[in-house]
Amino acid sequence: MTHEATAAAQPFVMDTAFWTATTIFLLAYAVIVSEKIHKTIIAIFGAGLMLVLKILEQHEAFHVEEFGVDWNVIFLLISMMVIINLMRPTGVFEYIAIKSAKWGKGDPFRILAIFAIVTAILSAFLDNVTTVLLIVPVTILIAEALEVDPLPYLISCALASNIGGTATLIGDPPNIMIASKAQLDFMDFIYHLSPVIIITMVFYVFAIKLIWGKKLKTKEELKKRIMAMNENEAIKDSVMLKKSLAVLAMVLTGFVFHGMLHYQPATVALFGAGLLLLLSKTHEPHHILADVEWPTIFFFMGLFIIIGGVVKVGLIKWMSVQVLELTQGNLLATSMVVMWFSAFASAFIDNIPYVATMNPLIVDMAKQLWPDLSGIQLLHHADLMPLWWSLALGACLGGNGTAIGASANVIVVGMSEKAGKRISFGKFMLYGMPMMIMTVVIATIYVWLRYYVLKI
Amino acid sequence: MKARNLMIPLQEYLKPDTTLKEAANILRTAKRDEEKLGVKGLPVLDASGKMVGFLSMGDILKAVFPSYMSLMNLGDFTWDGMVEDMAKKARDKKVSEMMTTKVISVNEDAYLMECVDHMIKNNVKRLPVIGKDGRVTGILYERDVFFAITKAMLDENTGGGK
Repeated sequence: MTHEATAAAQPFVMDTAFWTATTIFLLAYAVIVSEKIHKTIIAIFGAGLMLVLKILEQHEAFHVEEFGVDWNVIFLLISMMVIINLMRPTGVFEYIAIKSAKWGKGDPFRILAIFAIVTAILSAFLDNVTTVLLIVPVTILIAEALEVDPLPYLISCALASNIGGTATLIGDPPNIMIASKAQLDFMDFIYHLSPVIIITMVFYVFAIKLIWGKKLKTKEELKKRIMAMNENEAIKDSVMLKKSLAVLAMVLTGFVFHGMLHYQPATVALFGAGLLLLLSKTHEPHHILADVEWPTIFFFMGLFIIIGGVVKVGLIKWMSVQVLELTQGNLLATSMVVMWFSAFASAFIDNIPYVATMNPLIVDMAKQLWPDLSGIQLLHHADLMPLWWSLALGACLGGNGTAIGASANVIVVGMSEKAGKRISFGKFMLYGMPMMIMTVVIATIYVWLRYYVLKI
Repeated sequence: MKARNLMIPLQEYLKPDTTLKEAANILRTAKRDEEKLGVKGLPVLDASGKMVGFLSMGDILKAVFPSYMSLMNLGDFTWDGMVEDMAKKARDKKVSEMMTTKVISVNEDAYLMECVDHMIKNNVKRLPVIGKDGRVTGILYERDVFFAITKAMLDENTGGGK
């Protein structure tokens, strides 16, 4: 509650600090979009500027959730990466991916569709970044085997992971933050978000059929390369596999019951990572830890601080308030504006700090609408609930809009570049933006129909 | 014994803009010594004769090895002809794209132990030997160091400080 209070009490003036922070923010984003300098370097440098120019105090950047690094997200990401790094040598992910490709019987489009569905399901339970890290290498290999363009597989992997990640509390960081702010638990997300994501995935598979279905052609003899692959050869360490699956099951169970047990998701993940490290009996945690995607982690940390700066000077709040004023207290209109504004905002800025800004704003608005209520009664007010879901849907699905809209996209673009298949900002947007609009339209209809017409 | 006493004088070298296809052919046909043909690596010299890199067989292997395969264990799921296909795709890459740019080299006057030190710590089997004018004058091979060692082991009269 103290966070909302500080946000509300924050005086808003367009002073030197406002313009300095806004300039750093815009320049940082311009350079990230231009791809002239590595994004992580810009994020770290921009964060450094925010601190050196005293837009943010170091204490705020490091220790205040509202303005600085969200360690829950950082530790959740690092811990899940450690768990996955320990699981990876067992071969379980290669097994799943090769099995999926064989289900597709070597047909390039069927494989694309199956990979999209597998990616969506995996990223609903694992972090999106982790999921694409596990799926992308196999998809490139499969594309090579079939001698087809890997681009559809790469882009579809990012898009499907963002759609799938929207389905659960743990699927995507914005959901984690919304859950904690609005005190929603795992089952709330399953009940309210999973249905619309399943519907969206059906439309998504039809959409990729339209876009890529005809272009993906291969020869019969190349299909044999896929069918000749034996997924059982993937399993390298069945003892460690059993330990990993047990810990993963425990972690997922922990996520399901985290609200009830009053644990943050990062606590669950960190404990799981520690336990699996212990069970692995490794004497050299060095390479497991070194394999954490540090550039991504530092990109997150730098961005948190840059956005913290513009949150502090009031830029993001100003922008959001403009949008909220448009709706004049009409909650259906507000839901729609929140969803669409969130989608476009998340397409260009990180949805994590964006959601961190929108969360207190929604709470503030609720306080104005129902001044007599507080706590759960306020946060879970029947008329407020659709706003939380609109925010989650907009912020998560919006990530598909551009190459920097979601961390999964950033990872996919990075991995593709390493593999010599560069995906430019424009190229990603060409597919991502229409797909984002399609999915948000579906979400709009869902929210309107379920919460304002059928009221269920 | 110093590097200059054991090195094979430089006869062939690569240029940065040579294609991998040409480079592979040069590696294959370069003279190793009086009789044998084929070397496992050559220095890359720019137009002024300055060493800018080193291309070894390992770098050619890396040129056909897709980066995504280093991310997961996909070796079991490759197919016959994959390396050949990749080789065709990689053949027009330039030597400068695949060469090692941080080359471990030694001076002509380096003692043998310094050479062994470099070979062990950097896990290299060939050391370009640099002359007084800063140019590569020869290559010191692990094999020749090994012969020097065996000679010392077998013949007790061969001491240091020659």
